[in-house]
Amino acid sequence: MKRRRFLNLLLTIFGLTAAGSFLYPLVRFLAPAGGKAEAKQITLKKSEIPVGTAKEIPLNNTPAIIINRPGKGFVALSRVCTHLGCLVEYDKIQNRLICPCHGALFDLEGNVVSGPPPKPLPKFPIKVESESILIG
Amino acid sequence: MWRKIKNWLEIRIGLGDLIRTHLTEYRVPKNINILYTLGFVALVIFSIQVITGFFLLVYYIPYSEMAFKSVQDIMSTVPYGWLFRQMHVVGSSLMVVVVLLHAIAVFFMGGYKKPRELTWIVGTLMLLITITFCLSGYLLPWSQLSYWATTIATTLPTAFPYAGETVAKLMKGSEQVSGITLNRFFALHVMLLPLIISVLVGLHIFLVRRVGISSPPFGKPAEPERPWTEYRHVSHPEGYSFFPDFVLKEIIMVMVFCAVLFFFITFLPTLLLPEEASIPADPFKTPAHIKPEWYFLAPYQMLKIIPNKFLGISLQMIILLIFILWPFLDTEEENNILKRPRLRWLFFLSLILWMGFTIWGKYS
Repeated sequence: MKRRRFLNLLLTIFGLTAAGSFLYPLVRFLAPAGGKAEAKQITLKKSEIPVGTAKEIPLNNTPAIIINRPGKGFVALSRVCTHLGCLVEYDKIQNRLICPCHGALFDLEGNVVSGPPPKPLPKFPIKVESESILIG
Repeated sequence: MWRKIKNWLEIRIGLGDLIRTHLTEYRVPKNINILYTLGFVALVIFSIQVITGFFLLVYYIPYSEMAFKSVQDIMSTVPYGWLFRQMHVVGSSLMVVVVLLHAIAVFFMGGYKKPRELTWIVGTLMLLITITFCLSGYLLPWSQLSYWATTIATTLPTAFPYAGETVAKLMKGSEQVSGITLNRFFALHVMLLPLIISVLVGLHIFLVRRVGISSPPFGKPAEPERPWTEYRHVSHPEGYSFFPDFVLKEIIMVMVFCAVLFFFITFLPTLLLPEEASIPADPFKTPAHIKPEWYFLAPYQMLKIIPNKFLGISLQMIILLIFILWPFLDTEEENNILKRPRLRWLFFLSLILWMGFTIWGKYS
């Protein structure tokens, strides 16, 4: 191997090592802190949410909404619109969830009725007991 | 005293030669028009943004618990704090206007054509950095408006499968926009972006000087005949001197800019600071009918009407890429848009569409 070629090879190896050794910590440095927070459950009294109304709660740092649907009971949905992350609001008159940012409409099951969201609103597990509701 | 300083500099850096070659004997085309001053105006606005930004930094606290209050204090307690913040806020919008107008003028006059493709690309990158400046600065007051505008912007990458979620989380530093996001955007706004734009400004000016200033394609041609097969500097020996003739035009345009800036600050102070800008960020309440800044209204409306998120954002990326790489897509030699009806049609249609989407976005 010629001297120049050898030096070019060395330069490439050291250059890539230096770049890699810098980029890996940089990505780790900028990445969100690891480890998932412990999932907590929330208990609400049934009387807090009469039929046809909804209650907004933070559930493990995610904005959520519990709706008491007429004839269908309780449902817990994420309020984070699957389009661009705005928070949906419950519209009692239309019986829909509306996103204020791009006008998306969801039904009370979380399914997209109209607008640009690519998928339904995530549902949270819910357990209805005699006097209370357990969410999460 | 002045003569002594001049002599001192003359011996060390050849001041006289520098002034002659770069100012008094540097010629600009005779048919140059007022639109050629927009680059200089953009540079002046950038300088104003740096100065007012520095003043705001003296009182601003980049911590989510304190950011909103510190901005409110700047507006109400700090003497003339409102003036520097308004200058910074209005200046940022005007900078987008001027850089956009500069790009439109260069496009209209065919200034992107060979050998100035690189100058165009660097210019369009500066436009993108300017918008990134606006976006990153928008979050810093930590108001409802800034919080939700940033939520939307940082969720955009999720339209792309695989890497989208990771990119969004890297931007936010957490699952939702939080204090960590504020710190990231603050670092970006006051450190990284100024560094990048300074390099790009230097490169842009270097390219303009190295290749030579382009002349408008209307009227008598001032440039050598094509084709360009080797490097040559375009000079305009018959033209006006850069200093004082052209610099005077530039100063007039800077004065026009100052008039517009202070008109907005004095008579329309709430135009860019609506009600939501005075409400502290609430991560559990998206304000009703929230709208982005005027320069994002067209993309906002497009995203609203295109039913598929991936399609909507991809389409905008493609339009942006076409805009940046336009010099390589337009292969015709004629640079006078008046002699090219199809290009003229495309130019005005794009402008009308953009304005139409902006107005639609505003009132939808």
